[in-house]
Amino acid sequence: MPLKPPYPRWYEKNAHCEYHGGVSGHAIENCITFKRIIQRMRNRSWIYFNNSESPNIIQNPLSNHQENEENAITKKMGKKAKTIVSEVNSLLAWSKIRIPKLTKDPGMENKPRHDPNPDSTRPEEPELDLYTIPSYSSWFAWNDIHKTERQALKEFFEGSSISRTPKIYKEYRDFIIKKYREDPSRRLTFTEIRKSLIGDVTLLHKVFRFLETWGLINFVAPLKPHEGSESDDRVRVENGVPKGVRVVATPNSLRPLSAPVVKGKNSGDGVEESEAKLPPLASYSDVFGDLKKLHCGNCGDNCDSEYYEYKKDNFIVCIKCFKSGNYGEGISKDDFDLKDCSEKSATNGAVWTEEETLLLLDSVMKHWDDWDLVAQNVQTKSKLDCITKLIELPFGESLIDSAKGRGYSSSTSTNMIGIKPVCVTSSEHQEKIINEDQGYDYTNENEKNGDPENQEPPSKKKCTASISDADSSLIEQVARISTMVEPQITAAAAEAAVAMLSDEMLCPREIFYGDQIDLTNGPLSPTLRAHDIRESEIQERSSPSESQEIPLKNSDVPLPLRIRAAVATGLGAAAAHAKLLALQEEREIEHLVAIIIEAQLKKLQSKVKHCDDAELLMEKEYAAIEELKEHILGERINILRTTYNTGTSKLLEPSSVQSQTGNMS
Amino acid sequence: MKSPASASWKAPLKFRMPAAENLVPIRLDIEVDGQRYKDAFTWNPYDPDSEVVMFAKRTVKDLKLAPGFLPQIVQFIQLATFRSYAGQDMYVGDKIVPIKLDLRVDHTVIRDQFLWDLNNFDSDPEEFARTLCKDVGIEDPEVGPAIALAIREQLYEIAIQNVTSARENRINKKGRRAAEHFPISKPSGAALDLMKLFRSSVVRKRKEWDYYKPVLDLLSNEDVDALEAKEERSG
Repeated sequence: MPLKPPYPRWYEKNAHCEYHGGVSGHAIENCITFKRIIQRMRNRSWIYFNNSESPNIIQNPLSNHQENEENAITKKMGKKAKTIVSEVNSLLAWSKIRIPKLTKDPGMENKPRHDPNPDSTRPEEPELDLYTIPSYSSWFAWNDIHKTERQALKEFFEGSSISRTPKIYKEYRDFIIKKYREDPSRRLTFTEIRKSLIGDVTLLHKVFRFLETWGLINFVAPLKPHEGSESDDRVRVENGVPKGVRVVATPNSLRPLSAPVVKGKNSGDGVEESEAKLPPLASYSDVFGDLKKLHCGNCGDNCDSEYYEYKKDNFIVCIKCFKSGNYGEGISKDDFDLKDCSEKSATNGAVWTEEETLLLLDSVMKHWDDWDLVAQNVQTKSKLDCITKLIELPFGESLIDSAKGRGYSSSTSTNMIGIKPVCVTSSEHQEKIINEDQGYDYTNENEKNGDPENQEPPSKKKCTASISDADSSLIEQVARISTMVEPQITAAAAEAAVAMLSDEMLCPREIFYGDQIDLTNGPLSPTLRAHDIRESEIQERSSPSESQEIPLKNSDVPLPLRIRAAVATGLGAAAAHAKLLALQEEREIEHLVAIIIEAQLKKLQSKVKHCDDAELLMEKEYAAIEELKEHILGERINILRTTYNTGTSKLLEPSSVQSQTGNMS
Repeated sequence: MKSPASASWKAPLKFRMPAAENLVPIRLDIEVDGQRYKDAFTWNPYDPDSEVVMFAKRTVKDLKLAPGFLPQIVQFIQLATFRSYAGQDMYVGDKIVPIKLDLRVDHTVIRDQFLWDLNNFDSDPEEFARTLCKDVGIEDPEVGPAIALAIREQLYEIAIQNVTSARENRINKKGRRAAEHFPISKPSGAALDLMKLFRSSVVRKRKEWDYYKPVLDLLSNEDVDALEAKEERSG
């Protein structure tokens, strides 16, 4: 209903809101209903905005990868745990907060399998029985057979044979998946399961391949150890070696070129190693001859630094061969030129001095994607050299990525963590404070965990993987983040978080700023900061009591209470947030269910209407037919009447007198 | 619930190998003028005669055999490709047969047992052999084709038996109902009773697992030589 004057303050007569169906009064830019919906979708990660692609804990805490992964909870974890995925009613987000760290052990020493596979961002934890399956397989349920399965494996659902029934399919499937999950780190082979299952092996293989393609098995396990090309290479080598002849690497040495295959895998490795020393294939050297390492034409060794080039033809020989004279017939020593290939270093012959590197970085910061300008600035190097060098730098890739039109590089983004306080992260930082007070080993442990991550070139992908590790708890995440940034920044963040929380609620304010109110020794924050710096600088275990003395002196509120309060506030904030989300979800569900019901009703109604129409038609037709029937009946009667009349008149003529007389008498 | 009889009666099909690719296995063992030629391979029965002759000529040339081999090879191949069977009918009921492997290829000895559905025309012995070699880790490239060949041979035997049984049915001229029963009550002996097999769980008992998995043996050179000598003597 359109508003009538007097209008409210926000009313703009000429503005129209597309979300509200074009109603006038406000523009969609100012539509709070719409904004709330977008925010809700953003909170649930249904949508993302382009400007938060860089790893940013505030706006983009989730993984940026294309394939998301979800958990399938399969084993009992307690009295209230559900064993069947389709029965789990809790929100996934809620489960992620509640479930993971039910173990008391805060340290992460029990991570037996740190999976370096970039596809799986979470390591497996034996206590929790979480199995990773890809999100495109989330339809899978233990107690049901999904449409996908029915379509892909039609043979079981056509009732064509007693050897192919849905029950049998389900048994196959459940057995295979359970067998895989007995040890998810090893690759389950078809041969292992077909010995345990009765049925046609071809059909079993089809089921096996189906499960594998959908990632329900062998998803985390390593890929095939022997790629097809490797075995082909090995085959090629074998076929070239007749049994009686031994092929040696150099004419006069006895070093064999390849080990016999019978010995199995070990020799396979040996074969690979010696293969590397073979002279490269023609196409390889054609393409990479200039760029890559040069091989001696004779013995196949790498010619790293110096080699001799044959003047008349395209032929090089390493120093050893040159000295021993192994370069074929008709060639003398004089024909070789000594060439030093140290100039051809990995960077394509370009050597970068520090000044040039600095210049390069500066120009990249300024010009981002425009490599021409960058090359101009770094005058001595070409465009290609610049790009190669940048990639080789440890953070170069992230610079290039962020240079794609963004406004900030990854280095500045970490600063933003310190600058902007957010409610969600505040609770994390609260817990971080706790860690630094009591869980000393824990912090150290996480630093250890954090360091290997930091030591690898922190490309953009690694950063998001480690920050957004959704499987680990908030505590772990916080600890990991804190180890990645400098202590001052974390201290600043903690300070800001405390400030925010204190603004919201009275209790933490009392606790944390109690000393301020009492105007005793100094505010809390410098204490905390000193805390942080000291604890993260000192590598060895100092007695916690020493560090705890200071806050005890400074504040009237005892430390344990402080800690408890901090924990309570943090958890409370998280729980409230989660509760809100849960409520929203429920409302959504109800709404959707209502829509579904409506749709069904509509369908029914239209069907009924259709039936009614058909009935009407039928009735009309019936009436028409009745009429016709009557008409025909009438005609028939007429005809009979006429025949009868003519008949009786005939009868009446000759014998009519007789009959009449007969009748009369 | 369909009765087994009606479920298994299908219209008779033209004779063919119960596998995705219609290749027949051929084993040759010819001796001419003291030269012995032993070989085994698969052949497409619909290849024309010219192909057979060409193949034989090439074989003789590559292996440097006596020219007397040529007509022998051609004959053998022609015999083996079931020209006599082509166009014959065969009944394919619900037949899941056990296939057994027990063969030696160079240094590798493999023994295995598994079930094969004759009704499944998507089945591919070559693919099964490839998967088997990959899973078990066999590197000898000759083992795979040998396994596929062994499977095909057994399938071929069974298919032939189906044809003969179909022929017998016609000769007997029994009624339709009797013909229905034949694929079940008089199987070639190799088919298994599906009802019994699939009635309870399709997961085997653990003690049977070892019977149905491949058993691999690697022989040393001496063993290989000894076995080959034995085969020559007996063959």
